[in-house]
Amino acid sequence: MIKDPLRRTTRLLRVFALALPLQSMAGEAQPVVETEIRDHLFFPSELVVPANTRVKLVIFNRDPTPEEFESYALSREKIIMGGQAVVIFIGPLAPGEYSFFGEFNPKTAQGKVIAK
Amino acid sequence: MLLTSVIIVLREVLEAALLLSILLAMSRLLQLRIHWFYVSLVAGAIGSAVYGVQVTAVSRAFGGMGQELLNAAMQFAIGLFFAATLSLLAMNYYSGPRLRALLLGCMAAAMALVVLRAGAEIYIYLSVFRYGPEPGFGMLAGSLLGAGIGFSVGALFYYLLLSLPRPWALLTTCVLLTLVVGGMCLQAAQLLTQAGWLPAQLPLWDSSALVAEDSVAGQMLYTLVGYEATPTALEAAVYIAGIAAVGLLLLFVRSRYK
Repeated sequence: MIKDPLRRTTRLLRVFALALPLQSMAGEAQPVVETEIRDHLFFPSELVVPANTRVKLVIFNRDPTPEEFESYALSREKIIMGGQAVVIFIGPLAPGEYSFFGEFNPKTAQGKVIAK
Repeated sequence: MLLTSVIIVLREVLEAALLLSILLAMSRLLQLRIHWFYVSLVAGAIGSAVYGVQVTAVSRAFGGMGQELLNAAMQFAIGLFFAATLSLLAMNYYSGPRLRALLLGCMAAAMALVVLRAGAEIYIYLSVFRYGPEPGFGMLAGSLLGAGIGFSVGALFYYLLLSLPRPWALLTTCVLLTLVVGGMCLQAAQLLTQAGWLPAQLPLWDSSALVAEDSVAGQMLYTLVGYEATPTALEAAVYIAGIAAVGLLLLFVRSRYK
């Protein structure tokens, strides 16, 4: 069966229209918070973020070894290879403290997000 | 270093071992052959190494969200293969042997992906050996210890399932696997939210005071029933939708084949 090209185009457009709000959501201006890992420690280890807002968290791993950002309180988990940076979206969070750690070096790599 | 290794490896191995025990118990109850088990272990191990080696490339893909997207796709695929496994098992239960190759294929595919997810993390963790001998013996001993405990708990769980009367054992494995499907869907949604691909929401509730996710009970529940202490409305909806889809599928199989 040969498909009607016009119909196909409109269908494609519809898909785009559906995707648009998602796109704009991702592109929206939002708070960015940065931290970095050095010698298996987070600098800074306390990250203050606005409450009830989605926040873009950027983590740089300055160590040569891999680390895994892990937080049960934030329900987040992501591997950060040595010398790389990653982005993780967190929140919106109710006011409070949310601990996170580096799973591969949990004795030293500890920190918390403070939502105010 | 030793304790850290035990915890990391145990966490990963435990999840794979528990899911494996459920599938093995099911196979045993329906007198299926279990050669699929070896295939999935080997395929999963190879997959872990490939993922581990390529993790930097994976991370950079899709605007830095490759890890989330690939992991979400794998969680979702595991859910689909488990749903197919459940339907085919029900079919076999109600009307005798049929589509056995497909059933074994679905189990093997699901298990290979489970092993891949767990194995990749262990591979990346142990790859610090490349940066010097400093971690050394403690890390290796801890990893072996963690793997040993994980597999032991899995074996215990397997025998516990098989010690139940057959109908109860079948029901338990089916209910658990159905909940696992919901959990896989929930985790996929969570990863897409982390990547910014799904809308972010405030959690509906926080039950971490009741059962903390990082406690032993929390980890077991996370694996067996998809427990999440702070689910959002979207995650809860996806969890319920996954379970409902499997439920409907099983009702359909029952009405058709019983």
